[in-house]
Amino acid sequence: MRFFRSLACVAAAFVCAASMAACSSSGSGSANVIKLGVDLPLSGADASVGRSTLNGVLLAADEANKKGLPGGFTLQVTQLDDAVQGIHSPQQGVANVKTFVADPSVLAVIGPYNSNVAAAEIPVTNAAGLAQISPSAVSDGLTLGDDASALRRANPSQNAFFRVCTTDSRQGAAAATFALQRGFKKAYIIDDNETYGLDLANVFETNFQRAGGTVLGHDHIAKNTQDFKSLLTKVAGTNPDVIFYGGTTSTGAGLIRQQMFDVGMGHVAFMGGDGIPDIATVAGPRADGTFYTVAAPNAEKLPSAQAFVKAYAAKYNEPIGPYSANAYAAAQVAVAAIAHAIVLNGNKIPSRAQVLAQVAKTSNVQTPIGAISFDANGDVKEPVLSLYTVQNGKPSFIDQLNLKE
Amino acid sequence: MHEFLAQLINGVSLGGIYALVAIGYTMVYGIVELINFAHGDVYTLGSFIALAIFGALGVSGELHGVPLVVDVTLTLVGAAVCCGLIGMMIERLAYRRLRNAPRLAPLITAIGVSFILENVMQAWKGAAPLPFPAAVPNPQLTLGPLQITTQQLVVVGLAIVSMIALHLFVNRTRTGRAMRAVAQDRQAASLMGVNVDATIAITFLVAGMLAGTAGFVSGVYYQSTWFLNGFGAGLKAFTAAVLGGIGNLPGAMLGGFLIGIIESFATWKLGGQWSNVTVFAILILVLVFRPSGLLGEQVPEKV
Repeated sequence: MRFFRSLACVAAAFVCAASMAACSSSGSGSANVIKLGVDLPLSGADASVGRSTLNGVLLAADEANKKGLPGGFTLQVTQLDDAVQGIHSPQQGVANVKTFVADPSVLAVIGPYNSNVAAAEIPVTNAAGLAQISPSAVSDGLTLGDDASALRRANPSQNAFFRVCTTDSRQGAAAATFALQRGFKKAYIIDDNETYGLDLANVFETNFQRAGGTVLGHDHIAKNTQDFKSLLTKVAGTNPDVIFYGGTTSTGAGLIRQQMFDVGMGHVAFMGGDGIPDIATVAGPRADGTFYTVAAPNAEKLPSAQAFVKAYAAKYNEPIGPYSANAYAAAQVAVAAIAHAIVLNGNKIPSRAQVLAQVAKTSNVQTPIGAISFDANGDVKEPVLSLYTVQNGKPSFIDQLNLKE
Repeated sequence: MHEFLAQLINGVSLGGIYALVAIGYTMVYGIVELINFAHGDVYTLGSFIALAIFGALGVSGELHGVPLVVDVTLTLVGAAVCCGLIGMMIERLAYRRLRNAPRLAPLITAIGVSFILENVMQAWKGAAPLPFPAAVPNPQLTLGPLQITTQQLVVVGLAIVSMIALHLFVNRTRTGRAMRAVAQDRQAASLMGVNVDATIAITFLVAGMLAGTAGFVSGVYYQSTWFLNGFGAGLKAFTAAVLGGIGNLPGAMLGGFLIGIIESFATWKLGGQWSNVTVFAILILVLVFRPSGLLGEQVPEKV
């Protein structure tokens, strides 16, 4: 998601990331230290969301250290930035994960943020047998089907990649449910013809029709299109209740929402997935009336998350980011697995394989986003999705949906 | 029929912007036989400069009355002049020394300049699409079942006016005559006392000013801009220039409008993902069957 954003903050973010890295590297080398590797985009376009995600991990590690790990071990977070020239980079992600693999005290990795980075990293962590938990990578192919098998080719019998968020296909299904709940019976579907957008749009189409909705048409747009008036003139002729867009703000959502007003469709609802929460940055005031799903619960609304939300605000003096709670939960899962593995290994430092086995067995770990259990693919068993709308240019939470297996 | 006309209007107004950019391609090609691939990025730079001037003037919402006229004029002129000067500078720094080099050298340089401009814009305003203030009111005119926005009329009008003004400039002024002379035979023109360097610089100035104008217009029309817009728009405008007959001013405008209409109809009838395919398929067909373009052979003027 959110591929491109202001480069203005790059310099600042870079300095921050560098100084954090400097802090975390001091005091390493002690035999009693277990490291949690974190790979996130900490500079450039994704910096704000990357840092608030990292903060979730740091908070969880702090609390684990306060409570104390068995065997007197100290948990240390070591983070690396996977953004290059402002954009998250699969190549840099691979280099970072290789750094973690080379450091024997790293027993688990949290991250990455983006699906394409995850797809590049999974073969590395899989070959090394190093447990990796992503807070936010939603692409289906990371854990499901032939794509996932191909990523696990080095070690086909073993899965080392887990995620506490849900998948694109569940997101598309939830979006269809939400759309019908809001009384949108006729939908026109547009997607950007990229992996994420096309998948999301197809899943929405199938589920929307299955649940009784009418799909008036499904169009794909070409890369780098600026003028959507022809397409929207055609869509207007079919008189839809909602336009569903599979893609991100920068691949077309912002311009489509804006140009809907130019062809007299400003009153028609516009809906998408977690690629468009930043739609107001392009569509401005015209973004109002947009709906979007996020593949995570709204932690601020969950009773189970109140303690976390308060602790986060107290420590960082700002509200939580969209994936802070997921990152905190991912770190909690990793800490719980490491603690079990230490105990099983007679209070000595466990091997990566022992930690991985415990992560895979994760069941009912209580986190701010609910009790987490992993299935055999590494996905959560009870995913929760939220629906938001844009009001006065700001996201406003509407509802959430609990999808059981 | 109603939808046909609505799509025709969409296509013609899209084509107006292509035409403004295509005229720049065709002028430069006419005089130095260089396909200036950086031209599309100068067009995007125009919208960035317009955005910066709007920001400096404190424009954020819709303007009316005197501020509308003053701010829009300042921004339009500012964007056009800056882009004209940047066009001249590019010619001076990147192309002039290569004027007698093999044809491939300046072409590759042009692609390099294009990348430089894109990265400068990314460093300047960031990699995300940028919103443009809705400064210019856009009342809708209703003609029977059809809706036309005033901005659509302005875009088309501006393209036609620019073309006519350029036509007169090239055919009726001394500078225009010098441009035609340099286009026909650079050495002979130089022997006749025409200042070749200055004439070529003026051509780049005018082309850059048109690109700046188009950049401003596209920013207002789409209310957004993005540092990579010039790549796609530049390719389309180049296609328009080839379709009309590269080097031919009325041809560039005709080509621009045709490309806009074709793209619009392809989106309507074949679906959005086929619009680019259709446009470039037509480019290939034109290059195969009529390499000189639609208006290329009678060549009423070559600049």
